[in-house]
Amino acid sequence: MSKGAILIARNNGNIDYVKQSVFLAERIQYYLKIPVSIITDSEEYLKSDFDHTVFDQIIAIPYKKTANTRAYNDGTLFYKTADFKNDIRHEVYNLTPYNETLLLDTDYIIANDLLSSCFNSNNDLMLFKSSEDIAKVRNEKEFDYVSDYSIEFYWATVVFFRKTQENEIFFDLISHIYKNWKHYTRIYQIDSPLFRNDFAFSIAIHIMNGFQKGNFAQQLPGKHLYTTDKDILWNLKNDEMLFLVEKKNYLGEYTAIKTIGQSIHVMNKFSLEREIDRVFSNE
Amino acid sequence: MDERLEKALEFSNYMVTLNNQKRLLKEKYYEDLLYFHSGCQFTVTKELITFVGMLISNSNDSDIVLVDDNNSPISIDNLNTFYENILDVYFSASNEYNTKYNELKKKRSVEKLVDIDE
Repeated sequence: MSKGAILIARNNGNIDYVKQSVFLAERIQYYLKIPVSIITDSEEYLKSDFDHTVFDQIIAIPYKKTANTRAYNDGTLFYKTADFKNDIRHEVYNLTPYNETLLLDTDYIIANDLLSSCFNSNNDLMLFKSSEDIAKVRNEKEFDYVSDYSIEFYWATVVFFRKTQENEIFFDLISHIYKNWKHYTRIYQIDSPLFRNDFAFSIAIHIMNGFQKGNFAQQLPGKHLYTTDKDILWNLKNDEMLFLVEKKNYLGEYTAIKTIGQSIHVMNKFSLEREIDRVFSNE
Repeated sequence: MDERLEKALEFSNYMVTLNNQKRLLKEKYYEDLLYFHSGCQFTVTKELITFVGMLISNSNDSDIVLVDDNNSPISIDNLNTFYENILDVYFSASNEYNTKYNELKKKRSVEKLVDIDE
């Protein structure tokens, strides 16, 4: 049975997801020892500026503008507004060349081999539900439930799935939720009109479970550790990462945190790219 | 600033960093305690070790059903091997945790806690 990882890279003028994908692909191959394919609308840029042989397959998709925009912070004092192209994740079921796929955000920095256990798991669909903000200074409740009176929250940052009939229905359902997003925000009491894959996946899991808690989707091994875009990735070397995390009630001040051998979702994409540039320039 | 307050704030900063590093070390320990067997995931706890040890000591060591972290039951063919493996996971993870924890305790500045050259 074929297995591999899939990354999605659709640049928006401010954030270089292609660069992040190349960087993450190398780490996936090193830690998880699986091939990596990329879904991108920037195939020419990938081939001209990077070593594209790191990818098993390049799956080209047409460039598309989006109406979704959002603010991307770079620490607590700076932000840019840019396109938020997140409307293709539900198509990965049909786009992946693998029977067993590990779908990852390009800013989920792998630093151990824990996720390789998914491929031996009896579970056909796995996501993170438990999570931990490494800064521990912010309200984490928003990642427990979709909203105050709504359903359990699942992260779509990392998704393991096998090609099964049930999973095909699941991804088709997410596609339906995407197309009828306004309706589902009302049903599930979601305040923001912005389409979020985490919410869409959570809603789809809730529906597949018969509109109740259940075990249609199981948890990935470990916890989803994350830093928000108000924190700064200061240094990245092999499996070690040094962060400056937001200091509560002290705007512009930070506390240093170091992680070793722990995979982290680094939401500050600007600081991630600065570190990637530094790592690439040293290679 | 009053020198007494300045020293207290400096120590407060150190404690924040120390507690953060201890918390992350604990999370790493929990990850290291995971044991995978026949497609199932077990967190190796003292309870699991004691239960499996008790079954073996009562000669109930074949075709035992255990329930994994995702509440899936699984029949363990060879409980003795399973027991040896979870003990190995437990001691490796705990020893590593102990070593790293003691290293942390000896670091008396924020810079040393996050391994930045002063």
